[in-house]
Amino acid sequence: MNQTSSEAIKELLYKMADDLLIIGHRNSEWTGLGPILEEDISFSSMAQDKIGQAQALYQLLNDLGEQEPDTVAFTRNANQFHNAQLVELPNGEYDFSLVRHFLYDHADQLRFEALANSSYEPLAKVARKVKGELKYHVFHANTWMVKLGSANEESHNRMQAAFNEAWNYALGMFEKSSFEDQLIAEGVFEGEETLQEKWLANITPYLIKAGIEIPASTSWNPVFGGRIGNHTANLSPLVEEMSEVFRFDPTAEW
Amino acid sequence: MIKSLDPRVTRAQIEENNTITPLKDLDQWETYEVFHQKKRGDQHMHVGIVHAPNAEMAFLFGKEQYGRRGFSVNIWVVKTRDVFASEYDDSDIFDTVPEKQYREAGGYKVMEKINKYKKGV
Amino acid sequence: MYGNAYIDPNEKANLILAEEDPQKLAEFEARIDRGEKIEPKDWMPKEYRKQLIRMIEQHAHSEIIGALPEGTWITRAPGFKRKLALMAKVQDEVGHAQLLYSAAETLGKSREAMINDLITGKSKYSNVFNYPAFTWADACVIAWLIDAGAIINQVANAKGSYGPYCRALDRICTEESFHLKYGHDNVVTLATGSSIQRDMVQGALIRWWPPIMHFFGPSDKISQHTEILMKWKVKMASNDDMRQQFLDMYVPKIWDLGLSIPDPLLKKNTATNKWEYTEPDWDEFKRVINGDGPCNAERLAVRRHAEEHGRWVREALNNVGSKYIVPLA
Repeated sequence: MNQTSSEAIKELLYKMADDLLIIGHRNSEWTGLGPILEEDISFSSMAQDKIGQAQALYQLLNDLGEQEPDTVAFTRNANQFHNAQLVELPNGEYDFSLVRHFLYDHADQLRFEALANSSYEPLAKVARKVKGELKYHVFHANTWMVKLGSANEESHNRMQAAFNEAWNYALGMFEKSSFEDQLIAEGVFEGEETLQEKWLANITPYLIKAGIEIPASTSWNPVFGGRIGNHTANLSPLVEEMSEVFRFDPTAEW
Repeated sequence: MIKSLDPRVTRAQIEENNTITPLKDLDQWETYEVFHQKKRGDQHMHVGIVHAPNAEMAFLFGKEQYGRRGFSVNIWVVKTRDVFASEYDDSDIFDTVPEKQYREAGGYKVMEKINKYKKGV
Repeated sequence: MYGNAYIDPNEKANLILAEEDPQKLAEFEARIDRGEKIEPKDWMPKEYRKQLIRMIEQHAHSEIIGALPEGTWITRAPGFKRKLALMAKVQDEVGHAQLLYSAAETLGKSREAMINDLITGKSKYSNVFNYPAFTWADACVIAWLIDAGAIINQVANAKGSYGPYCRALDRICTEESFHLKYGHDNVVTLATGSSIQRDMVQGALIRWWPPIMHFFGPSDKISQHTEILMKWKVKMASNDDMRQQFLDMYVPKIWDLGLSIPDPLLKKNTATNKWEYTEPDWDEFKRVINGDGPCNAERLAVRRHAEEHGRWVREALNNVGSKYIVPLA
């Protein structure tokens, strides 16, 4: 692999891993506080999966010469994170957390699915390994979306409002990288535009079943910036929090 | 608002003197019995219950509550109310008179005849 | 994670058996004597049902409340390995609550009724969870020593007489053995690490020692009541016996790490083969169990918040025509 492809792949890995790390932390805020015990357990499992997947991707970065996964994940500042702003937003009520889970996990599943055929074999291998976890996450998200979207007036209104709130941030997940053309040309990744099209096609049938409307495309205004380190004020406190103990003595074994 | 040692709790903006209306009956939904199969070829076994509003969610919940450590390859869920269970008080219906050797392998002893026949030949 | 059921020694013991059918009672006791389990729909004395509901319910509450002090450190656990393990551990505690509420339901009390009694402060849960986890090391000490105490209680109770409770405990004990190893590994890492880490864990141990000594409850008064519950295999060991077992197993391990335990009188009497210790402050225990501990108000407020904010989710999916049936097993 030449120097530029290596940089391109790193960029791809960083944004995926950071998305997973941050949403995993957000979702873990529900552990012990979920709406019912059974769902609390399920949501906690998915949060663990996400953080585990993030770790696997940071490991690939380590293989490409970056620092140890723990160092990368827990010593950077917020402006060095490449996650989309969607995943750093506070949890809000369960409606927003579920909507974000639905929008994010569909994209995440497609991203990994595409990468399972990547010319970059180590990444393809990880993508194949997490397939089962992602399938459960998406099934979970679809079921909740459809049921709550169509259950009663309150739940429908809540889900629609949360959806509207999340939408432009969700579009921000598909912010193109400066390496976009190269990644596509080298067969590493199919690119954000293709991904977004597939994503839209995948989520639409569930939204129809849920009775949730996608905002008119004229009002679409993707929130970009996360991929290049521009974040909302919510990320910095979370990043500091998640590394609070680790930073206490970064050289120590914890 | 509670200022907790747990930043998660602080962020959730919880009032210390919050009140709650008691949960009503069925607030926690009804229950489903969960059966899992440890590996292909095994029988499904009862592992417990989940509270769920419908079968799909009972499956989603059962999978994590009973299968999250990877000990299952398949799960069934069925509403508790759809299970017809025998009463322990009636467990004597499983008692049977011992004179039913005709349906046990041990009730058939042929060697004696074979040996006698062989000797006779 | 649960110590032991608090049985009121002043309860009127002579009335326990007054209204029971002597023949059914004899059959019930003979079944227990034979080592057979009691199943949900079996005949059982009213007191047996009442005490089991109380005990399993307290145990379930302790699991769901027990998720909070350790949950304090979920977002801050240092590094991937610890973070993932702590998330899994706290998740297990929630899972244990689910299993235990289910077991208690088979005795005829609905989960809604149990949750209502928890959030109004009517039923109790393990006192230790009313204490704060100030540092990461507190979470490590809880994971090791509180879980160790819980295992002693749970292993004993898993040999009890009520089938659904025993089945839940078997599963719980398997998971607790991961918690114990995880907790021990954490404490060993801190105790053998840098001086900052060592001070952290020593501080946590000093804070947690009194609640740990409270964990199994005050000495049982031997009453007719406790004797009957032991005969029925509801209560499997005395609080003092469990405390002794705990000290036997864990004090040497703590001392191995060169950590000091804040009790100058703590030593094993070689003549009696029993541990001697400063009598825990049982007035504080009673004060905290009755609501006046450092975190009681927060713990219950968090539970009320979770139930209240989850209500719209649960209500939306409630179906017309659904019907609650007591779980089978």
